[in-house]
Amino acid sequence: MSLSSNEAAATLRDIESTQRRSANAFGYRMAAPHLILWGIIWALGYGVTAVHREWSILWIALTIMGVVASTWIGVRTSHTARGHVDPRPLATVAAVALLIASLFAILHPLTGAQISAFFPIVVGFAYALIGIWTGGARTLITGVVIVALTLVGFFALPSIFTIWMAIVGGGALVLGGVWLRTV
Amino acid sequence: MEQPDPTIHQPIRLKIMAALKPLPRRELIEFTRLRTLVGTTDGNLGAHLSTLEQAGYIEVEKQFVEKKPRTRVRLSATGRRAFEAYVAFLRDIIDHT
Repeated sequence: MSLSSNEAAATLRDIESTQRRSANAFGYRMAAPHLILWGIIWALGYGVTAVHREWSILWIALTIMGVVASTWIGVRTSHTARGHVDPRPLATVAAVALLIASLFAILHPLTGAQISAFFPIVVGFAYALIGIWTGGARTLITGVVIVALTLVGFFALPSIFTIWMAIVGGGALVLGGVWLRTV
Repeated sequence: MEQPDPTIHQPIRLKIMAALKPLPRRELIEFTRLRTLVGTTDGNLGAHLSTLEQAGYIEVEKQFVEKKPRTRVRLSATGRRAFEAYVAFLRDIIDHT
């Protein structure tokens, strides 16, 4: 049994293609429930504050609940053997939280609408960057759509921006999560 | 390695190994997801998984969840090493011709 150089190169290309598809499918499977969860949280948070602006403190409770639920989902969805917990997802959440806190400390948004637009843009770009680096087209598209919808709402629909983010922003995250689950 | 590992060299088994390799160590993948990635039938995949399991390259976990059978698969440490050796063998052919 011998292989030519061309056959070896073709086999390596097949291997890399399968590995890339497998890695993407795994990433999608891990990310999907988080997108759906945070889509629901966005819909709740933006929806309530669109009606009762004074209830914006609700976001703190929703964010804490979201982080706890995301951690629980991360542990549940991993099929890794018991006792082997991947610390990277939690480290990523901590890094993003630090980024947001640092940016807020230096460039504090002036209006409620700016705050409402800030988080989806950070999250959307985070997904887009992850998509670019991992070759995950669906992750990239989901991130770009979230950023685009946020900018459209912020600049073109300022009077209904918060409710726009509840329905369209939250809905886009949920749909993005459902889309990733289909792979 | 002067000859390719015959267990891995078979195209479907090679795809199975390639699909399992990028997953985190000890991570299991559902049979149905693996079937989609490999692009084969249930029977064909099952037969090749048996061959790989007998070689000690993969670990198969079978459970019943809500009275339905669930089969999950992961790469063993032996399988990971064998796959890496196979890829090194391919690279060696390219580098030396």
